[in-house]
Amino acid sequence: MSTFDFLLQGLGTAIQPMILIYALIGVTLGTAVGVLPGIGPALTVALLLPVTYGLDPAGSLIMFAGIYYGGMYGGSTTSILLNTPGESASIVTALEGNRMAKAGRGGPALATAAIGSFVAGLLATLALAFLAPHIVKLALVFGPREYFALMMLAFVTVSAAFGDSTLKGLTSLFIGLGLATVGIDGLTGQARMSFGIPQLLDGVEVTTLAVALFALGEALFVAAQTHGLADKVEAIKGSVRMTREDWRRSWPAWLRGSAIGFPIGAMPAGGADIASFLSYGTEKRMSKHPEEFGTGAIEGVAGPEAANNAAAAGTLVPLLTLGLPTTATAAIMLAGFQQFGLQPGPLLFATAPQLVWGLIASLLIANVMLLVLNLPLIRFWVLLLRIPRPWLYAGIMLFATLGTIGVNPSPVELSMLLLFGFMGYGLRLYGYPIAPVVVGLILGPMAEQQLRRALAISQGDWTTLVATPLAAALLGIAALALILPLILRLRGKGKVLSQIAGDSD
Amino acid sequence: MTGQAGTGRRPDGAAFIIAALLAVFGAVPLWDASTIPDKGGYAGIGPAAMPKVVGWALIALAATTAVGAFRGRLADVPRQNPVPLFWIGGGLVLQIALLHTIGFSLATGILFATTAAGFGKRNLVLTLPVGIGFAFVVYAIFDRLLQLNLPGGPLETLILGG
Amino acid sequence: MKHAILGAVLAVASATAAFAEEYTIMAPAAPGGGWDSTARTIQEVMVAEGISGNVQVQNVPGAGGTVGLAQFAASTAGDPKQLIVGGYVMVGAILTNASPVSLADVTPIARLTGEAVGIAVSASSPIQNINELVEMMKADPGAVSWAGGSAGGVDHITVGLLAKAAGIDPTKINYVAFSGGGEALAAILGSQVTVGISGVGEFLPQVEAGALRMLAVSTAEKWPGTDAPTLMESGYDVNVQNWRMIAAAPGLTDDQKAAVMADIDKLANSAGWKAALETKGWANTYLAGADFEAQLAKEIEATTAVLKDIGLVQ
Repeated sequence: MSTFDFLLQGLGTAIQPMILIYALIGVTLGTAVGVLPGIGPALTVALLLPVTYGLDPAGSLIMFAGIYYGGMYGGSTTSILLNTPGESASIVTALEGNRMAKAGRGGPALATAAIGSFVAGLLATLALAFLAPHIVKLALVFGPREYFALMMLAFVTVSAAFGDSTLKGLTSLFIGLGLATVGIDGLTGQARMSFGIPQLLDGVEVTTLAVALFALGEALFVAAQTHGLADKVEAIKGSVRMTREDWRRSWPAWLRGSAIGFPIGAMPAGGADIASFLSYGTEKRMSKHPEEFGTGAIEGVAGPEAANNAAAAGTLVPLLTLGLPTTATAAIMLAGFQQFGLQPGPLLFATAPQLVWGLIASLLIANVMLLVLNLPLIRFWVLLLRIPRPWLYAGIMLFATLGTIGVNPSPVELSMLLLFGFMGYGLRLYGYPIAPVVVGLILGPMAEQQLRRALAISQGDWTTLVATPLAAALLGIAALALILPLILRLRGKGKVLSQIAGDSD
Repeated sequence: MTGQAGTGRRPDGAAFIIAALLAVFGAVPLWDASTIPDKGGYAGIGPAAMPKVVGWALIALAATTAVGAFRGRLADVPRQNPVPLFWIGGGLVLQIALLHTIGFSLATGILFATTAAGFGKRNLVLTLPVGIGFAFVVYAIFDRLLQLNLPGGPLETLILGG
Repeated sequence: MKHAILGAVLAVASATAAFAEEYTIMAPAAPGGGWDSTARTIQEVMVAEGISGNVQVQNVPGAGGTVGLAQFAASTAGDPKQLIVGGYVMVGAILTNASPVSLADVTPIARLTGEAVGIAVSASSPIQNINELVEMMKADPGAVSWAGGSAGGVDHITVGLLAKAAGIDPTKINYVAFSGGGEALAAILGSQVTVGISGVGEFLPQVEAGALRMLAVSTAEKWPGTDAPTLMESGYDVNVQNWRMIAAAPGLTDDQKAAVMADIDKLANSAGWKAALETKGWANTYLAGADFEAQLAKEIEATTAVLKDIGLVQ
C-alpha cells in the first residue's frame, strides 16, 4: 500500500464517533491548560497522561494529539492578550501580538495565530506522513559544529528583535547570557554562579524568567503608571475578523513559518522556540512594512505561530522514525506509546502501521477541531480584555504564580520570580527590550555546549567549525547577515537596504 | 528615544546607576569564573570560558552606557507612582512567605487582593474573599483533578479533606 | 446548620486522616520525568492493590534529586508514612554537587527497577567488538570520543570504570556529555562521535533495525533483547545498573521499618506492579533489605572512587 492508502485508512479509524469525542476532549483540555502561563504542552500531557490509562490505544493517542496541539495553540492566546507567554515558543508571539491587542486588533491577531497554526499543522502533518524518512537523514547530518553554526545564525537573526538601540539590545542579550551561566555546566558537571544554593544548580527556568519579565514586569509597569483607581477597560476597537489586507499579509508568513518550523523541529537539537525566533527574524527582514515591527505587525504573529506549530509536528519525525524524544513533550508522548507496549523507532512503521497512521490522521483531525473550536472562541477571549484592570491583573498574577508553584513550589524559585519581575519593570522603564534576555537564556547554553562538544570531538582544533560545507555555509550566512547591514548603514545606504528587503519578497 | 541633555530633572543619574549595576553584574561571573578550575579537557575551553566572555562584555557595555550618559539621557521616563509597586511586591513577598503555612488558596488570595489594590481597588473586604475563592477553585482543579500538587493548608484540608 | 455542615466536613476530614496506611511519596524531580513516573506508578498500584487507601505524590525538583533528598531528610524524621523515590543518578549527584545530605540520611528500602547501560557504535563503524574499542583507547584515548548522558551520570561513570578496569587513565577519556539520550543517540547514528553509551532500551530499536551495533552491556548478566556480551565476560571488571529505588524516612524504629518493607514487598510482588512494569518496559530488578543495603554501600564506594579518578570530585 502507498502512503496515501495508509493515510486514508488512518482517517477511517479517526472519524469514528467515539474517537471524535476523545479528540474533542483532548483539544479542549489542551487549549484550556495550555492557555495558562508556565504550563506548556509537556506538563499538560504529563498531567493528563493518567486520564488516558483506561482508554483503548486509538482513543488515547488521539487524545494526546489533541492535548499536544491544543497546548501548543493555547500558549499564543495569553501571549497576545495578556503579554504572558505560556511557553518559550510563544515569546515572540507576544512581541507583535500584544501590541496588536493593545491597538484594539486582538481579534485579528488571535485569528491569524489560529489559522496560521492550522495551516502549519496541516502542512507539517502531511510532510510528516510523506517526508519523514528523508527528513531524518538530513537531521542526522547535523552534528555539534552544524548546530553551533545554526545557533550563530539564530543569534544574528533574532537580533532583529532587539529594537531601536543596539546598545540596549546587546545589554539585554548579555544579561540573558549571564543568567544562562547559572547552574551546572552540562559538559563537565561543574557548578557555576550558584553560590552554594542547591536550587540554583538547575539554572534559571526559562518559563520562570519569561513569566516574570513579561507578566509581572508588565503588571508592575502598568500599575506604576496608574494614579488613583484605574477602573477603565481597554477599549476594543475594530472588528475581531481579519481584513483582506490582513489575509494578504498573513498567508505568505504562514507558509514561510511552516517551511522554517518543520525541519528545525525535526532536528534533534532544534525545537519550537528556535523555529519561532528564526521565523520572526525572517518576517522582519522580508516585510514590506519593517517599520511596523515593534508596533504590531501581523506577519510577526502569523510567521512564528505557524513556525512553532510546524516545529511541534516536526518533533514527531525523530520520535516516530528513530524513537528519539527531542523535546520534553516528545518524551512524554514516548511514555504514552510505551503505555501500550509500543516502542517508537525505525520498526514502528512496519510493526504497527494502523497505529502510526491512525495517529497521523488524528493529528489532522485534532488540527481541524482546534480551528473549529477556537475561531468562534476568539470573540469570547477578546472579552477578557474588558475585565476592569484591577481584577484582570489580579487574575494574571494568580495564574503567573500558579505556573511556578505547580512545577516547583520552592521559595528560591518564587523569589527569582519576584526579582526578575522587578528587573522586567526596570528594563521596561528605561526602554530596554525584554525578548533578548529570554533569547540569551535559551540560546546561550545551547551555543556554548555545541561549540565545546565540537571542539572536544576534534580535540581542540578550531578549524573543525568550518570543516563541513553545511557548517561553513551556515556560518557564512550568519556572518553576511551580521556584516552586510552594518556596511550599508555605515555608508548611509539605509534606503538601499529597505529596497533590497522589498525586492526579495 | 534619546532626549536632549539637560532637559530632565536629573540629567543622567539613572544611566550611571544602570552602568554601575551592569558592572556589578559583569563582575560576578568574572569572580565566579576565577574560582572554577578550568578543566577544558580535549575541547581546550572549559566551563570558565563562557562566564569570562559574558563578564567582560557586560563590563564593556557598562562603560559604553556610562560614556553615553555624558552625551544625553538614556530614556525619557514618565512619572512613576511607587505605591502600586509596594502593594504588588508586598503581596508577592507575603505569598512566598506564607505559601507553605497557610496554603495556596489563602496565600494566593492575598496576592490577588494586593494586586487589585495596586491598581486602585483598595476594598479588601471585597477583593480578599473573591481572590481566596478564585484561588481555591484553581487549587481544586489543579491539585485534585490534575494531581499537580499545590501546597495545601488549613482551608484546603477543611473543605477537601487531607 | 452551618455548624452541622462544618462538623460533618471535619468528621470526614479526620476520618480520612485516620486511615491507617496513607503514604506520601516524594518524587525529587519535576512532573513528567523518570522518577516522577515511578512515583506515580507506585501510587497507582498501591491504591489499586489495596496496599494503601490514599497515596499522594509530591514533586521537589532540583540538582539530580539532591534538593528533594535534603528536604525529605530534614522534614520527615521518624514518620513511617513518608517515602521517597530515588536512583543511581542520585549517588553520583550527591558527590558531584557536594550535597550535605546523602543516602545515609534516609532509610533505603528496596531497589525496584533497573536498566543496563549499553555501549554501541554506528553500523558503519569499523569497530567490531569491545576489545577493539579498548585497544583504540589504549593507543590514543583522545581519539575515541564517547557520546552519553550528563557529566557525572551513570553513562560517564561506566566509561570511567571501564577505563580503569582496562588500565587506561580515566582522566584521559574524551567524554562528550549530551543533554539527553535522544541527542546523544542522534550523534552516534550520524557518526559524529566514535562510540555511544546510554540506557540499553534507547539503543535496542536501532540495533534491531540494523543501524547500530551493540558492543557490550554493563550488567553482570546478559540483558534481554540483545546478545551483546557483558563487560565482565569481555574481561573488564565492571558491573553497573541504572536502578530506581524507594526509601523511607530517617530515624524509623525497627517495627516501623519492617512495616514499610512489608508494604513494599507486597507492591513488588503484586500482579498490578508486574503488569505496570511490563507496559512501561521497565525491568524488574527487585532487591530488598540487607542485600540491597550491602549492594548500595558497594556501589557508593566504587562511584566515589571513579568520580575522583575522572576528576569530578575532589
